[in-house]
Amino acid sequence: MIILALLEERARHGYELAKLIETQSQNRLQFHVASLYPMLYRLERKKLVDGRWVEKAGERRRRFYHLTPLGRRTLAEQRRTWREFVSALNQLTGFSHA
Amino acid sequence: MPDWPQFIRQHLPPLAVRAERENEIVAELALQLEQAYSEALAGGATDGEALLRAQAQFPDWNKLARDINREERPERPESHGKLPPEPEPAAGFGWFGGWFGGSLHDVRYALRCLRKNPGFAAISVLTLAFGIGGNTAIFTMVDALALRRLPYRQPERLVAIETRKAQQPELEAWTSALDFFDARQQTRSFASMAAISPIWNVVLTGRGRAERLECLYVSAEFFPLLGVTPAAGRLFLPAEDKRAQPSGVVVISHALWQRRFGGSQEAVGQSLNLDNSVYTVIGVMPPDFRYLGEPVAGTASQIDAWFPLSDNPLTGSIRGLRFLKAIGRLKPGVSAAQAGDEVRRLGAALAQQYPESNAGFSWNTLPLNEQVTGRIRLTMLLLLGAVGFVLLMACANVANLLLARAVSRQPEISVRIALGAGWARLLRQLLTEGVVLAALGGAAALPLAYFGLRFLIASGPQSLMGNHNIHLDERALFFTAGVVLAAAVGAGLPPAWRVLRVEIGRPLRQAGRGLTAGHHGVRAALVAGQVALALVLLVGSGLLIRSFQRLLDVNPGFNPHNLVTISTQLPAGARTPAQRTSVYSTMRDRLLVVPGVANVAAVSRLPLLGRSLGSWVFVEGKSTPGAPTADIEYRVATPSYFATMGIPLRAGRLFDDHDDANAAGVLLINESMAKKSWPGENPVGKRVKLGANPERQPWIVVIGVVGDVRHVGLDTEPRPEIYRPYAVNPLGAPALVIRTRADAAPMVSSLSEAVRSVSAEVPAYDVFLMEALVDRSTRERRFVMLLLSAYAFSALLLAGVGIYGTVSQSVLQRTQEIGLRMALGASPGTVLQMVFGQGLRPVAVGIAAGSLAAAGLTWLMRSILFEVGPLDPLAFAAAALTLGAFAVPACYLPARRATRVDPLIALRDDG
Repeated sequence: MIILALLEERARHGYELAKLIETQSQNRLQFHVASLYPMLYRLERKKLVDGRWVEKAGERRRRFYHLTPLGRRTLAEQRRTWREFVSALNQLTGFSHA
Repeated sequence: MPDWPQFIRQHLPPLAVRAERENEIVAELALQLEQAYSEALAGGATDGEALLRAQAQFPDWNKLARDINREERPERPESHGKLPPEPEPAAGFGWFGGWFGGSLHDVRYALRCLRKNPGFAAISVLTLAFGIGGNTAIFTMVDALALRRLPYRQPERLVAIETRKAQQPELEAWTSALDFFDARQQTRSFASMAAISPIWNVVLTGRGRAERLECLYVSAEFFPLLGVTPAAGRLFLPAEDKRAQPSGVVVISHALWQRRFGGSQEAVGQSLNLDNSVYTVIGVMPPDFRYLGEPVAGTASQIDAWFPLSDNPLTGSIRGLRFLKAIGRLKPGVSAAQAGDEVRRLGAALAQQYPESNAGFSWNTLPLNEQVTGRIRLTMLLLLGAVGFVLLMACANVANLLLARAVSRQPEISVRIALGAGWARLLRQLLTEGVVLAALGGAAALPLAYFGLRFLIASGPQSLMGNHNIHLDERALFFTAGVVLAAAVGAGLPPAWRVLRVEIGRPLRQAGRGLTAGHHGVRAALVAGQVALALVLLVGSGLLIRSFQRLLDVNPGFNPHNLVTISTQLPAGARTPAQRTSVYSTMRDRLLVVPGVANVAAVSRLPLLGRSLGSWVFVEGKSTPGAPTADIEYRVATPSYFATMGIPLRAGRLFDDHDDANAAGVLLINESMAKKSWPGENPVGKRVKLGANPERQPWIVVIGVVGDVRHVGLDTEPRPEIYRPYAVNPLGAPALVIRTRADAAPMVSSLSEAVRSVSAEVPAYDVFLMEALVDRSTRERRFVMLLLSAYAFSALLLAGVGIYGTVSQSVLQRTQEIGLRMALGASPGTVLQMVFGQGLRPVAVGIAAGSLAAAGLTWLMRSILFEVGPLDPLAFAAAALTLGAFAVPACYLPARRATRVDPLIALRDDG
């Protein structure tokens, strides 16, 4: 879900995704870059993301991943489930909003 | 900056995906490392630190490959317990595309693996190059000599027509001119028939030094029947082949044209002085034209000129004089069998019509191709089979090496299978290694084949190679390509099959162990197979060596030491017996004054030159009047011939100077004739008649018996033979024999000069040391024996290496087991016995199987053996002992190494 969320805004390449996860989670998430690529390949196989080689002026040719329509729907679904899960947890643990 | 894609390829195990997909993944991962590296450098890290930081991105390459393989794997919910799925095929090409799409990657991968193991690569490539190169060279020779279609128009429609004496089928088949003319007129099966004389010698004079030419008299149909056309000029007209008068025309070979006319276009129409008659050159044959059928087959003769058949003085002789070879071209729609039936009917009709000359003769046909190649085909196929065996052994050795490497790669293969690599994908990769090795071996084999072929041509007997154009061509290259493919499969399939059979469907933890234990069986089988093949070759070469030994033990019937022979021809002007005797006497006197000459004599036909002349004999009191007379060998010799040659006198006396043309008819016979015609009697004083019509011939008295001479070859039993005095029948082309007091070799040229000094018209040719002639008569056998022995020796070496490699590998893989045994109290002696015994077991199996196979195969060789049976126990025992002698050290050396295993170190390794 994290990767899908990071791709929601725009297409990104693998290295950028790794850096974002690292910085945005402020190193709280135990994430290793070696897991990133297999995960991207799985998402791609499930047609949630689509990887394309893009060559921009003055830059190296890179593989950019963007969300597919199915990916967007899945992200929305996952967000809903996550919200439900978190609210259920909050209710159970008494951290509900007043 | 490091080459990151290369770095990834070095570390990441091969992925179970298509090659293009793998390339994409490698490129993407490389970008990740590159960026981490650049960022570290930008952050102030040293190059080494930056490298470390980049490498830390992927700390576990195996896990990464496993993860990628899992994620790339297509969904297949029911695949548990079944064969792992194959990778998706390349779009648009289906399975085919999938199979070959990634092969380039596999080739690269295989090359990378080989680069990492240069020793393995070199040994494998050289082993295969040796096998493939040998096969290509031998195939090229065998193809040219025995397999290729004859170089004539529709050669499958050509047949040879043969007349043989039913009671003496061993005699060469010749047809008489009158029989040929009758058959040609009456046949309905042949579109045309042609006749060819024996190889004839004429002397070319008037254009520089006198030169002896080899010629054929051929009927006018000969060239059109073969479908050949001249390079210049024309061929014979039917009118030029009529017996009314000499035609005066000749067709010459391309070589003679170059030699005597310098290739000039003006040659056609010019005249040549041949045997003191003038002939006009009407045509020149193309450079590659050779007549390959009899009488040329099996000789080294290069025909220089062709005359019309009617010019041959024998053409008008009696029906009983058979001196022609006949061939025919089948009419369209007529089968060879139908033509054969007709020829047999024609022969029977002629026998009925002319019983005095034709009774007892039968007619038959055989494909011309068979006449050309039948004599040597078996030998050639034997050589091809033998070199094929060597290739199989080379493949077995390389398969063994590949198998050993497969064991070292077993964890990788197990992991890949467990992660879903398709079996077809892995099979392709394992086979690709064999293909790459075989292709490299094939490339290295071509120069080997080229030089091997040159060696074969240079060392092969002229009688075998002389009339064939042998060179590496597209057929040889196709054959090599086929052999390379076979070698690839032969070397790559056993390990691939073994590895995959063990791995598929087996839990990961057990897979490696299964391979280690199971592959030993394959290797043992490969070794047993190699030993069996080597034994067959050793037995085969042993039989030929024994045959050759027996052949060298054969007494030729004369003393070839310090003896020179020179063939010559008397000037055409010497026509009467007195003139000829006078020229010969001059020749003898000139030779006798050459320092070192002890004796000089002349004979009509020399031994071992493959030329002979027959006659018919009617034996007083033995032969039945009216019945067919027996064929015998007929020679004319001067009185000193027997003393000069060292042919012993067995009974009676030899010729002397009184046995001249005026004396009563006398002759000498050989021992075979004495035994055949007068068994248990003294033939001296008995009388015989010679010739086709005994009733018209005078009686001739046998005055002596001389020893048998092997005239045809050392391996051919002497036939009954008679000698007549030279003075009675002085020949136009005597063969001189000269006995020298010391080594004859340095005298050869002065002897030839002495002969030529008699007259400018007298040539000296076929100048031989008699020992060289004896040696030449064994060259064909020697050539085949040496080739087969060389293969057998190579096979022995390959088998030795194979056994050594297998036992060594087995010791290496069983180090822990051996260590454990020793820790539990096994003595080095017990270990030695165990390893040695287990190593020898496949050898014993191989020897047993090889002996059985050899017993079945040597039967095929029996026609080329000489006084040795195909099951000769000595050859079999020697082969088994030689192999055993090679196998023992090959097993012992690694077995001794096994006894030095340190139990502690061996067990510590068992992590």
